[in-house]
Amino acid sequence: MPKLTIDGRTLAVAEGTTVLRAALEASISIPHLCWHPAFPPEGSCRLCLVEIEGFPKLELACSTAVREGMKVRTETPAVRESRRRVLEFLLADHPVDCPICDKAGECKLQDYYEDHGLTESVFREEKERRPKNIDLGKNLLLDRERCVLCTRCVRFLREVTRTGELGVFERGVRSEIGILEGRPVATPYGGNLVDLCPVGAITDRSFRFRTRTWFLVSRPTICPLCARGCAIDIDHHPGLPRRADSAGVFRVRPRPDEAVNGFWICDLGRYGYLDLHRRRLTRISWNRGGPAAEMSRAKILSVLGGKIREMAVRGRSSRLGLVLNSGLTVEELRSVRDGLLSRLPEARLWFDDPPPGEDDGFLLRAERTANRRGAAGLGFDLAPFDPAVLGKDLDIILVFGGLSVGKGRDEVLGQALASIGTKVLLSPVETGLEPAFDFLIPTALPSEKSGTFINVDGLARSFEPAIPVAAGVWPEGEFLAALAEEISRGA
Amino acid sequence: MSDVLTALIKIFVALGWFLVLTLYLTWVERKESAVLQDRIGANRASIFGLRLFGLFQPFADAIKMIFKEDFVPAFADKVLHTLAPFVSFFFVAVTIAAMPFGDDIVVGGKTVGLQVFDPSVGLLYVLAMLSLGIYGIILSGWASRNRFALLGSARGAAQLISYEVALGLSLIGLIMVFPSLRMSDIVRFQGGTILGFLPRWGVFLQPLGFALFFVAALAETKRVPFDLPEGESEIIGFFAEYGGLKWGLFMMTDFMEIIVVSALLATLFFGGWQVPWLAADGFHWPWGGHWALARWLVVVLQVLAFQAKVVFFCWLQILIRWTYPRLRYDQLMDLGWKVLIPLGLLNILATGLVMSL
Amino acid sequence: MVKAWGYLWALVKGAAVTTRHFIVNMWFHTLRLVGFKRLRAGAVTFQYPEVRKPLAARHRSLHRLVARPDGRPRCVACLLCVTVCPSECIFVEAEEDPDPDVQKTAGRFEIDLARCSFCGFCVEACPEDAIRMDTGTIELAARSRADLLFDRDRLLRRN
Repeated sequence: MPKLTIDGRTLAVAEGTTVLRAALEASISIPHLCWHPAFPPEGSCRLCLVEIEGFPKLELACSTAVREGMKVRTETPAVRESRRRVLEFLLADHPVDCPICDKAGECKLQDYYEDHGLTESVFREEKERRPKNIDLGKNLLLDRERCVLCTRCVRFLREVTRTGELGVFERGVRSEIGILEGRPVATPYGGNLVDLCPVGAITDRSFRFRTRTWFLVSRPTICPLCARGCAIDIDHHPGLPRRADSAGVFRVRPRPDEAVNGFWICDLGRYGYLDLHRRRLTRISWNRGGPAAEMSRAKILSVLGGKIREMAVRGRSSRLGLVLNSGLTVEELRSVRDGLLSRLPEARLWFDDPPPGEDDGFLLRAERTANRRGAAGLGFDLAPFDPAVLGKDLDIILVFGGLSVGKGRDEVLGQALASIGTKVLLSPVETGLEPAFDFLIPTALPSEKSGTFINVDGLARSFEPAIPVAAGVWPEGEFLAALAEEISRGA
Repeated sequence: MSDVLTALIKIFVALGWFLVLTLYLTWVERKESAVLQDRIGANRASIFGLRLFGLFQPFADAIKMIFKEDFVPAFADKVLHTLAPFVSFFFVAVTIAAMPFGDDIVVGGKTVGLQVFDPSVGLLYVLAMLSLGIYGIILSGWASRNRFALLGSARGAAQLISYEVALGLSLIGLIMVFPSLRMSDIVRFQGGTILGFLPRWGVFLQPLGFALFFVAALAETKRVPFDLPEGESEIIGFFAEYGGLKWGLFMMTDFMEIIVVSALLATLFFGGWQVPWLAADGFHWPWGGHWALARWLVVVLQVLAFQAKVVFFCWLQILIRWTYPRLRYDQLMDLGWKVLIPLGLLNILATGLVMSL
Repeated sequence: MVKAWGYLWALVKGAAVTTRHFIVNMWFHTLRLVGFKRLRAGAVTFQYPEVRKPLAARHRSLHRLVARPDGRPRCVACLLCVTVCPSECIFVEAEEDPDPDVQKTAGRFEIDLARCSFCGFCVEACPEDAIRMDTGTIELAARSRADLLFDRDRLLRRN
């Protein structure tokens, strides 16, 4: 392990590490635009120049490998001056339209200018005008004025997705990012380009002009939409006073997790999860033919708990049906097993998981629930749910609607349910099945609760609530605990 | 029968005078403060466009207060909360009965004193009634069940009781000099001269007593600079839970106390209705001249003299209220117990020494 | 003791000041009342609704949105005013501007004057000089909260 000294601190790093990586690992910041940990060094932005003892000129930190005894200095006058000049050139043709740029606030060029630049531009010439609103396909928009030609996007499509839709066209000062005529970006990982772009050149149409980044609160959670269980950050706006409509979830972004998803997420997770927040159930209600009546937690608990307790006491627990899904967390499933099933040993149990989707061979898996390994690990029989077997011998059925319950099976399910006395649906989102049930209980999305998912590779990932629980929502874990307590009351 | 009628007329006139003066004192307060701060003051209240320097302002205020909601907080003691402002108001209102407005006059062969009633303990009666007014303050704070109001009334009770002592002590010297506690006797005694030219007023007999009484009486009116019980603007006083006319009664009580203090100052220290060198038959100038006046003219002059003195002291108190900042609580207590009371005792001692010579 | 006499002297001085003001002002009030109108006034008061004091150049009055020549607001909905506003009284919703050179503009722009403290930070923060507080409108009382909610069109009308 070679040792090097950066700004007087001696570090031991692995063989072949670059100076930039070594510095970042030691929390020494060296500005960089084109370098990204996922790619080999490009060395085009020239911002990471540092002084290395024994070298006649400043060297690129991103592409210089560490050698034993290297002495690096990152804050000498020469380094600072070079950064200032590089920034000045980058900004010579940058439009500085930060007020209307969606990247403002998390833009690296902005940050570096604050930290290292702060110079008056010496250019008296008009800035060059280029197209500002090029459709790259999917949700992506390209602004060529803002582009600093770091080519992160090109390298991502070439090296990670291997689709190569983007390229650098023309040469020299006329260089520009672009697509071939009629061949827009089509990869299901295109959303990552927005996060990759260090400036506001590639932006997301779904986030365009909706808010500014500094209003958003970013919290880690796990994507529940497939068995991969990608690490994500979910960005929400806490809301302005007296403006309830200003609050909400605005973005889903990948969170680096080397073992699970690297630096990326698929567009299904990025936009699909966003979509969930737009069709929430918000009231505990009771369908009695007419308009659904709102109920309190205590009321529904006493009604349901009473019925189930009676079953348990009379030993008729086989007339209780439970439809679970493997989108529930390990903790919730354990609560079902230990809290409910221990008292109702003969209750019927099924798992209702969405039908497998396409496996794209990269991140997205065919299995579209996050915790099938976790459910199996708790000893559940993951018997698929078949509406046809539902039937006459059930009095109560509790259906935990996953994020895509009963898609395409509405009619079959509705008929099968018709003969059951008490039907309860617990779901975080509207599914279209609501009229077939007697009781509706809105539950929490994974981003609102804490828990553990075990992904397709058997990796357990725990998470904490990332956004405030929506009004009226009763997280499954709390509901199950309350129900278990209600059932065992007086027993 | 005619005695009762006379008494009723006297009560009516005295109370009427008292209340009208109170009403206009609020106007005077606003205007005087405005003038000494280079402002104009309330001048908008008008009847058919007639403004008259805002002379109708008190009526506008009264109408506003009457039409406000008569509010008793849900948590308050309803009976006591309602009773408190009336207690305050009543005990101040009755003090005016003992104030002599002028010399005795003869109407239809009967001698009538220009005074509602003239007990032999007139001075004590006034002091006693003023002391009872504290109950209004304590009751209001207590019945409001509001901790800030209660703190205000606690401050008020402590302040008023402390200064009650100084007030009493400052008057003992005067009582030693004067022949009687009867108010009419006190005024008559001040009719002559000392050293041939100086009116025999209390202020010349008891200069220190006057100063002590004035300060203590200012504190008794609980207005700035002694307004710790109220402190409307920042420390919240005993009537925090009052509104409308009940609040108005507390406010009126304040102004009535100003008049009572002014009347007391005039009566005890400035010869009441006495005009310098004016006897029943006219002026006797100290340089030896005599200026004969009709009896009725003398009475009119004397009544006007009393009015003038009262109005002057009202003006002076308002000037003081708009000149000085509020005392801190410890300063207030220091002034009462460590300055006024020792000086009061010293005054008694000095008076006794002089009198025994 | 010396200190106490100092306090007494200060009391006398204070009373002298207020008494002097009272007497001098009363003197001029009286003179004007009897017809000497050209002497100095006894008070410095402006009789407000009838006599208006001119507003200072930097006075912060009701906000307005500055319009471009085509009548649309200059505002590009950068939300810096929303960010800086200590009363959190500004609400802006961006929309796409038909002019491709402008791109972004304010679709909704609302100022809740019931919350506004007239600090003027929004004017300072604005990179486009799109919001100003120079209308000179200072009489802003309204009979309902809704009347105090100034929307984009109401703010634009003041140009």
